[in-house]
Amino acid sequence: MPPAVQAKKPLPSKEQTLFKELLAQYEASQYKRALKTVDQILKKFPDHGESLAMKGLVVAHMGRKEEGLELVRKGIRMDLTSHIVWHVFGLMKKSERDYEEAVKSYLVALRYDKDNMNIMRDAANMQMQLRNYEGLVDLRLSLLRLRPNMRQNWVAAAIAYYFNGQLFDAKYVLEIYEGVLKNAPARDTETSELLLFHARILYELERYKPALEFLETHTQMRKIFDRTAVTELKTKIYEALGKQDDADECWRILIDINAESYDYYTGFLKNRAIDLGNLTDETKAAATRYFQDFSTQYPKATAPKRLALTYSSGDQFADLVKAYIQNGLERGIPSLFVDLKSLYSDPTKLAEISSFITSFHNSQNSSSSPEPATYIWTLYFLAQHHSHLGHHSEALSVLDTALQHTPTLPDLLTLRAKVLKRAGDPWGAWRSAEEARALDGQDRGLNWKSAKYAIRAQELEEGQKLLGLFTKKEAPSPAWDLEEMQSFAFLIEEGDAHFRAGRHGLALKRYKAIERIFGDFEDDQFDFHGYVNRKGTLNVYIDMINWEDRLRSHPIYIRAALQASRIYLSIYDRPKSKAGESAEDKKAKKKAKKAAADAKKAAPATDDKLPDNPTSPPKDDDPFGEKLISVNDPLEQAAKMLRPLERSATWSFEMWIGSFDVALRRRKYLQAQRALQYAKSLEPQNPELHVRILEYHLALLSLHQKGTNGSASPSPVADLLKSLLPEEVTPDVYNSTWLQSGSPSATRILAGARGASALGAPVEEVESILQGVWGEDVAINPQTALQVLDYLRSIQSSKVEEFRTRSQEKFPLSTIFKTPDEWKALKASIQNEEEKEEVEVY
Amino acid sequence: MNIRRARPEDMPGMQACNLQNLPENYVMKFYIYHSVSWPQLSFVAEDEKGRIVGYILAKIEDEPEDNDEVHGHVNSISVLRSHRRLGLAKKLMLLSQQAMVDVYDASYCALHVRKTNKAALGLYRDTLGFHVDKLEKGYYADGEDAYAMKLWLKS
Repeated sequence: MPPAVQAKKPLPSKEQTLFKELLAQYEASQYKRALKTVDQILKKFPDHGESLAMKGLVVAHMGRKEEGLELVRKGIRMDLTSHIVWHVFGLMKKSERDYEEAVKSYLVALRYDKDNMNIMRDAANMQMQLRNYEGLVDLRLSLLRLRPNMRQNWVAAAIAYYFNGQLFDAKYVLEIYEGVLKNAPARDTETSELLLFHARILYELERYKPALEFLETHTQMRKIFDRTAVTELKTKIYEALGKQDDADECWRILIDINAESYDYYTGFLKNRAIDLGNLTDETKAAATRYFQDFSTQYPKATAPKRLALTYSSGDQFADLVKAYIQNGLERGIPSLFVDLKSLYSDPTKLAEISSFITSFHNSQNSSSSPEPATYIWTLYFLAQHHSHLGHHSEALSVLDTALQHTPTLPDLLTLRAKVLKRAGDPWGAWRSAEEARALDGQDRGLNWKSAKYAIRAQELEEGQKLLGLFTKKEAPSPAWDLEEMQSFAFLIEEGDAHFRAGRHGLALKRYKAIERIFGDFEDDQFDFHGYVNRKGTLNVYIDMINWEDRLRSHPIYIRAALQASRIYLSIYDRPKSKAGESAEDKKAKKKAKKAAADAKKAAPATDDKLPDNPTSPPKDDDPFGEKLISVNDPLEQAAKMLRPLERSATWSFEMWIGSFDVALRRRKYLQAQRALQYAKSLEPQNPELHVRILEYHLALLSLHQKGTNGSASPSPVADLLKSLLPEEVTPDVYNSTWLQSGSPSATRILAGARGASALGAPVEEVESILQGVWGEDVAINPQTALQVLDYLRSIQSSKVEEFRTRSQEKFPLSTIFKTPDEWKALKASIQNEEEKEEVEVY
Repeated sequence: MNIRRARPEDMPGMQACNLQNLPENYVMKFYIYHSVSWPQLSFVAEDEKGRIVGYILAKIEDEPEDNDEVHGHVNSISVLRSHRRLGLAKKLMLLSQQAMVDVYDASYCALHVRKTNKAALGLYRDTLGFHVDKLEKGYYADGEDAYAMKLWLKS
């Protein structure tokens, strides 16, 4: 007899009662008791499908996923037409975030229990998560038919129609619904939000006049309260209708509500045919005039004053900027420089600011009693000014003066840290940031700065200690807590520090954590698909959905994915020794193991203190990322990291370069070509692109040679190269032209050297190209010099030592060019001095 | 600095600003919850590169306990150290309070502040007009007491 038929028999009443108890216990998360109950049923009826499925669900909740899934599958086999078994299977898949499978299973369940609203609602939410809008509309309409008296079903149907592009249907649903809504409470924000959504639909349907009437009627009836949202929508409608004066009035209302919004000023001017992105002399003058008018009208607002600086020029700019800086210094605004920095891209504005701050400073120096606060902030501004222009010694000397005057102002020390960092002294930078932190231990901002600089200076343990001052004490480690709290800043800093030091396993661990958190963000939206129908805030919900859809174009995600793919590529490129571990990976592991052993020795009792409760974090089974880097298919892993970006981050030059690097190694020449073309359209003069074009050429060349000897004809691919490298230009000429054109910089020269090397130039020639970085007008800083040095090391040049010494001379403040021994001695002497100072204090 | 209403896509920036600045931190879902529930009440200040340098995250107690009225609550407000003394906190606060009244008809605005945080206490009391309503023992996760502060929004 087939088991399914047997299972069709209903359970006896005793077991039926038990089954009901089981459901209640499961709902109440009493899994142990639920397990006992279900075992009682299964003892008598071992093939009861629904009980088997429920047992599987309970077991899975207790942490035994595999066993649970097996039981649920068995349950389905025993009772193919039960909605419960399919619902349970759906729940299992949902908990794995496999919404695709979960929805399928739910839809089967609905076949056997047509009107189960719980299943419908959950399935609808999953359809939304999957952006499967047709399926969403079906389910929402079924729910509405079943329960038309429930407010949320109407809202849900309207939003489903909206996303499915059926705006007329959405409007229709809202009209009916609003008809029965007449007796809603007098002041109801949910209704207000719904009506705004309705107006938005009218606008998107280009039914401007009705939209306007709708907004006006409901505002007058005091049904819509969100004045900002109403006015913003009205400006759009008026502009679409070409009613400039009405739009003007709306922009003025908005500016009156919030006089600090750049968008409102931009919109106001655009309505008056002044496009801030594309100004003529005439419109420029007009824009400045408006900004000055608004400054008078809203004397407390900063935005119009600051915007006037961006768009004015000549004498007018000079007058305005002087007043702006003087006011800022007298009020002691620390951000004055960062606020004005973007003006520096205009040389005349830079000169104007430079001359004013210098004369302002001089006037204070010559005054017998300058106002102390103004004096300090003037020095603070001046130091940033010098540092921005690359004059590190001047910046430091100004800061020394300032610190003598006011040694307790942390901002001076954090700025000093920044200057040192730029000058190539990461460790000194950290010490300075740490001094700042010590002045105000309560300030997490100062704490983060110090920790960040410690990490950048490879003082990772110190960094963790500092971070630990603000993370949860009960967390296993500061890093663990920061990952829980989704701190991208921390994960990126540590990942990059590990990466730079060659600890690829640990680096990849951090980047993978970032990827996981973005997955969590994506999952976070799930609960809101149902919530918003009750809450009625549909406009912001639409914004949320749109944001989630382009989540992976976030710069942090791009950065992490690119770094991870670089690690996979380096594993692929490395001659196969053992797995992906580098020497640094091994060192890190050894060190950490020792530290763990020491910690155990020091505190043997800690393990007992950790209670075995479900909230305690699961044990990390890959603390060094060894598993992560011992993949067999690094190239495929790299491609997988970048794939979502090739759709969402097409504007990112770095992304296309990364994509090329992967495609070339995978011998996907068309993809490689496409990546380079994108990159070229974004930044045609970028040195990284130059090197890649030559690499690509060489790859095609070798393909061609293989082709002539063998069988495959590569000509269509070779044709493609033309758009990147003109046919009549030989690669050698291309490379030397590159070196002779453009404004000379160390990065440009380095790219030329790499190109020459790739084209087979002897080491001496490559070295002589690189000598060019010391040319008089070549842009170079400690960081780019270090890149050149690293490159010389990688080609085992005999000029390494010479270049190192020369860099040290050129950048006397830097420490990154010191030999390990020099550095050790220097660090010891600094620490010695610091200790001495401490002794003097006490 | 550009000040505007916070949108869902601002939540990661707000979270980053909060993590660098304050000891009380929240996961993304908490931010999304506020944004989706009370979209009119949270604001951000951003620099020219679009980096968030200050924010206010607020909500409405729309089901107040007995004898209490509908009121706003500031969950978190902060401005990066590098952007202080621009009056950003005050501007953010006033925009949020205006929206609390306009959209929700809130009677007052409430917030909590660490007992030892003299700077914030000064800002709320002297600059923004809040008064201390009561002391809440052990309000914070680390056991510190909080002052519950209030500002009446309607005369």
